[in-house]
Amino acid sequence: MSWIPFKIGQPKKQIVPKTVERDFEREYGKLQQPILLPCRLEEQTKRLQKDMRKSTDADLAMSKSAVKISLDLLSNPLCEQDQDFLNMVTALDTAMKRMDAFNQEKVNQIQKTVIEPLKKFGSVFPSLNMAVKRREQALQDYRRLQAKVEKYEEKEKTGPVLAKLHQAREELRPVRDDFEAKNKQLLDEMPRFYNSRLDYFQPSFESLIRAQVVYYSEMHKIFGDLTQQLDQPGCPDEQRERENEARLSELRALSIVADD
Amino acid sequence: MPQKEPADMTSHGDDALSSRTGAPGGDDRLSEDRSLLQQRLAVRELLDTEVSYLHVLQLCASDIRSRLQQLPQGDLDVLFSNIDDIIKVNSRLLHDLQETASREEEQVQLIGNTFLEFQEELEQVYKVYCASYEQALLLVETYRKEPELQREIQGIIEAVLPQAGPSGLSFLLVIPLQRITKYPLLLQKILENTLPDASAYAVLQRATSALQDVVTNINEYKRRKEVASKYTKVEPLSLRERLARINTHTLSKKTTRLSQLLKQEAGLVPRTEDKEFDDLEEKFHWVSLCVTELKSNVAAYLDNLEAFLRFRPQDYNLEIPGGPVVQYCYLARDLQLQAFPEFKQQLEAQVWQPLCSLAKALAGPQNLIKKRLDKLLDFERVEEKLLEVGSMTYEEEAARHTYQALNSLLVAELPQFNQLAMRWLSQILCAFVTLQRDLAKQVLQRAEDSLAQLPHHHLSEPAFRKLVEDALGQTSHQLHAFQENFEKVLPPPTTQPLLPGAERQVQALLSRYGPGKLYQVTSNISGAGTLDLTLPRGHIVALLQNKDTKGNSSRWLVDTGGHRGYVPAGKLEVYHVVPTEEELRGQARPHKDSQHQTPEPTSAPVPSVPTVTQVVAVYPFVARSSHEVSLQAGQRVTVLEAHDKKGNPEWSLVEVNGQRGYVPSSFLARAPSPAPWGWSLPS
Repeated sequence: MSWIPFKIGQPKKQIVPKTVERDFEREYGKLQQPILLPCRLEEQTKRLQKDMRKSTDADLAMSKSAVKISLDLLSNPLCEQDQDFLNMVTALDTAMKRMDAFNQEKVNQIQKTVIEPLKKFGSVFPSLNMAVKRREQALQDYRRLQAKVEKYEEKEKTGPVLAKLHQAREELRPVRDDFEAKNKQLLDEMPRFYNSRLDYFQPSFESLIRAQVVYYSEMHKIFGDLTQQLDQPGCPDEQRERENEARLSELRALSIVADD
Repeated sequence: MPQKEPADMTSHGDDALSSRTGAPGGDDRLSEDRSLLQQRLAVRELLDTEVSYLHVLQLCASDIRSRLQQLPQGDLDVLFSNIDDIIKVNSRLLHDLQETASREEEQVQLIGNTFLEFQEELEQVYKVYCASYEQALLLVETYRKEPELQREIQGIIEAVLPQAGPSGLSFLLVIPLQRITKYPLLLQKILENTLPDASAYAVLQRATSALQDVVTNINEYKRRKEVASKYTKVEPLSLRERLARINTHTLSKKTTRLSQLLKQEAGLVPRTEDKEFDDLEEKFHWVSLCVTELKSNVAAYLDNLEAFLRFRPQDYNLEIPGGPVVQYCYLARDLQLQAFPEFKQQLEAQVWQPLCSLAKALAGPQNLIKKRLDKLLDFERVEEKLLEVGSMTYEEEAARHTYQALNSLLVAELPQFNQLAMRWLSQILCAFVTLQRDLAKQVLQRAEDSLAQLPHHHLSEPAFRKLVEDALGQTSHQLHAFQENFEKVLPPPTTQPLLPGAERQVQALLSRYGPGKLYQVTSNISGAGTLDLTLPRGHIVALLQNKDTKGNSSRWLVDTGGHRGYVPAGKLEVYHVVPTEEELRGQARPHKDSQHQTPEPTSAPVPSVPTVTQVVAVYPFVARSSHEVSLQAGQRVTVLEAHDKKGNPEWSLVEVNGQRGYVPSSFLARAPSPAPWGWSLPS
């Protein structure tokens, strides 16, 4: 009978060899437990998904507040009096609304190709964790019944003892098989799942980069056209600063403006 | 205006002349001659005093100012104001006046013309000086309070201009004021001695009144500035200060204003309509609204930008060493560290800060408009009173003047304010737009660089999107498969021992219902209702119905072999019947598999040893007999038989390194699948 192949040379209580256990821990650890490695794939995926969501929300909010800028300007009665002002504000409003539309599209694309997949990846973990828990349960049962068998094996081989021993062995067998099956399955599946992240995420992130390119090309074009339309050549920062200083001094030169 | 005349030589000459002549007859020609002489003297006076005036100015500006080094530069700027500009203008004036001396016939006319030419400039330059004169006097007062400093200043002045006398600095500072008011008088003197029908007369007359206007305008300007500085200050007053300010005087003022306003609203008193002012005020109101709205909208935009920048994707570690994931992390880090912070900073400097300054500038005019209305209400009441009583007190007169001053000040300057504010607003908006474009350019550059390194950069966008969609569809299936596989790892078969005497009961249930319907109670059940059973842990029951009469699937109908009733489904576990010896003998694999099978219709069998021929050894194994073969971790092996000679699946017959032998099956794993769709990592 060779039902415990590793028994020879191993301590009696150790039914699962240290190497097997260690390897299991390692594979599981990559996915889950904080004990061994600083990086936990489950947590990282969850946090990444949540933060990506928050980022897209902030992105949408930013775009909306940009639209509000031009909307409020457009509704000011000054537009009725000053044609130049009206033209500028109308052009600005058009630009902002178009950008908002593109932004929404960008966010939708990110939602579809990055956030959803992240969520799906994360949703495998509860099943995995449950499976590991059940393996643990199986291991406990296995240990318990193993101990029972060994107890009878050490006793004097009388009739009733032999019958009990036989009974115990019979009880042990399915449990041991179950454990080993679970163990093997998980040792099989966990690395595969862990490795699948490589292929799984690359398309998402490629899509993410592309979405940025599409959006910012539009943005560059729209605002480039607008700056030309407004007839304001880009000037360097120092010049802008000087202009602002000049405007302020002009205002301050008036008596009705308080000095402070 | 205070007048302190330096010694006037010509007045003596005048008296002397008039005392000598006086003979009647030939009066006409004599008076003519006298006039001419007077005129000439007056012209001489004008020119000579101009020369000495300019000389004194130059001494002040250069010698005295440069020696007053113990005073800070700010003080000197206030004291001497724009004296350099005055010197420039007066030098040119003097030069032109001296030139007229060569053309004796037309000199008076030319003098008149010269002053008319210089009228504008004189007003501009002297009005600035006069406006800051009060402040300069305040400074002089503070110096007087420090005896040491006062002595020094006095010493310097006396060294340069001894005629300044004991009042030193104040004597010098008032000189420009005196001069500008003297011009009309000097011109008047020449005019008096000019024949009315002379061609010069008209010109000179115009020049005299022009210079008079200059003085009036300067006074008005000074007054406006005083009024403005009194009311534009928005002082943050504490409650105590506010209470201290309320006295019966202000209270009565306020109540009077309120009643006046009410009277206006009720139509009892005609409102002083000033369409021009109202239009200006309306436009100012819109400008203010525009500025304040824009400011708060930009603030909201900046807040959202900040929130957006809090997300740092490069902080996450999916342990993916290369490819688009890493590309993206580099890109995001780049944008986060450079492009976006720069954008934010520029936005703050070129849009936010100017808006704040512009918004602050609104306060002054807003205050003045309010004060004007207050004074207007006062003014109207005064007018009423004037109608009734026929006179007004000094205070009431002052209120009228203040109102008029405020009104004229606002009418003069509000249009400018509105225009300047609008211009600035437009510039700020343009800056906003330019910054957006620049940001887009920065991001685009970097993103396009990243894109170029991606595997599918050559694809068009629609083609790429289709590709991603397909890829994600496939991986979604794969994930689903993983999930299912993990869910197939079921709870361990129950191993609770049977209660004594239960074997027979189990056999009875077994024969009656079959092995698929047996369940064991996992923890004590205490029934509540009449149909609920109370059972101890370990009891075996047979399932009759997996829901109750109401359709509740967590309450099952079971048979204990004696009783029937309901128990909570959650406390039941499938019971595996331990086979007897006979059943164990001659066991074929299908039988064994059935033991692993649970009666649940939804479950699938536990997957058995992989039947693919190519596997990978996950763990090392040391062969201990000739039947076994050694393994190294990660080694590829070929499985020949997935069980041993006795059919035991725990051992597999494999071939590795040309050797054959048995190895534990659990040490083997399926090889990882090949990378699909070209997203493999560079090796």
